[in-house]
Amino acid sequence: MPRAIPGVMVECDASIKAIIVKIDSERHDYILEDLDETTVLIKESKLADLKEALERELQDTQTFPEDEDSD
Amino acid sequence: VVDQIRLWQIEGERMKATPGSLIRDFSTERDYRETLNYAEELGVLLWRNDQKRWFFVSRHEQIADFIAQRARAQAAKAQGRA
Repeated sequence: MPRAIPGVMVECDASIKAIIVKIDSERHDYILEDLDETTVLIKESKLADLKEALERELQDTQTFPEDEDSD
Repeated sequence: VVDQIRLWQIEGERMKATPGSLIRDFSTERDYRETLNYAEELGVLLWRNDQKRWFFVSRHEQIADFIAQRARAQAAKAQGRA
């Protein structure tokens, strides 16, 4: 008998999805099912948390030093 | 249903978050196909994977009724045969 699993389908870039999988791997608390390369099923109650975690993660990875200005 | 879709903009990357239900664990290809077609007719089908026999719908109530109805019909048919 088929089952219905409620959740939020998140569609995003493959690189963002990889970060979501990485965040989830710490506590396995966000992802219900990995759907495909760019799609993942998330617990509805955890969506806001995930968004925050993702913003933190993106800030951390993207604060590399600016190119030094020669001249 | 469209108003339920939430768009995120993080670091210039667009993300789409849509509430609904993943329908999975179909035992036969025929059950999968017929239920999928019904979801498509209702206009609630948003994602599918034919290999896994999984699909995602924005609303699942009518799909659940359809599945239950089919299960009842199949049980009645099996009983008739016995």
